[in-house]
Amino acid sequence: MVTSFFDQFSSPLFMGIPLMALALLLPWILLPTPSSRWLNNRLLTLQNWFLGMFTRQLLLPINHPGHKWALILASLMIFLLSLNLLGLLPYTFTPTTQLSINLGFAVPLWLATVLIGLRNQPNLSLAHLLPEGTPLLLIPILIIIETISLMIRPLALGVRLTANLTAGHLLIQLISTGLFVLLSLQPAVAILTGALLLMLSLLEVAVAIIQAYVFVLLLSLYLQENV
Amino acid sequence: MGGHDAGSQHQFTGIAKHFNSYTIAGRRNCVLATFASILGLTLFFKLKPKKQAAVTAK
Repeated sequence: MVTSFFDQFSSPLFMGIPLMALALLLPWILLPTPSSRWLNNRLLTLQNWFLGMFTRQLLLPINHPGHKWALILASLMIFLLSLNLLGLLPYTFTPTTQLSINLGFAVPLWLATVLIGLRNQPNLSLAHLLPEGTPLLLIPILIIIETISLMIRPLALGVRLTANLTAGHLLIQLISTGLFVLLSLQPAVAILTGALLLMLSLLEVAVAIIQAYVFVLLLSLYLQENV
Repeated sequence: MGGHDAGSQHQFTGIAKHFNSYTIAGRRNCVLATFASILGLTLFFKLKPKKQAAVTAK
């Protein structure tokens, strides 16, 4: 069987059965279930504190009608965060390396923000396509440019997450392969490569957290424009 | 991002009253006019009858 560095990104199959659903379900099984007790255990208290703080911070710049999005944005953040972080463990599959999954998150949510804007405040939503104070001759060009940049937003959202995670996983695999090869040949260089791998792994943990946050933050910004 | 402009400090006359880049209504009208022009141009070139190539007698 010829293996390549890109095999880790192929959608998992077990005897012909796609395991994508299982991969997407895993984070929810691992997270502690909220209880109706007044005082919860430490893990649940920590989870609730984090969720509350994050949601409050995210919804700060958004007007009141946009606060309906609190649940979906908070759960999307937890979902992406857990998928990204679990994918850094050995022998796991990261669903967010698949463009299909990321576009599946980005396109409907972005479209929802655009449609909400067009439905509730159509004048303002259309006026957003022309920056205030644009010189007369630049008006048509800028409208076209702003429309294109609006349409490209979901693509950028999805591809950003995919590319960051895919590149990170690929780098980890490349450097770890190099490390294993160098261990027997040049141990001194292997130690340096090991140090590089450790730093890269720490970077990838940061990237996993940041990319999940950036995805949700940009969605909240798009919502802020339209609400 | 620039705040909403009530348009009170800009006194526009004529066509600039409806098409300008300062008021919300003006910006909206510019956007709609641009989209309508693009749509019109697209429809014009799509529906334009193609000139038949002259048939040369053998």
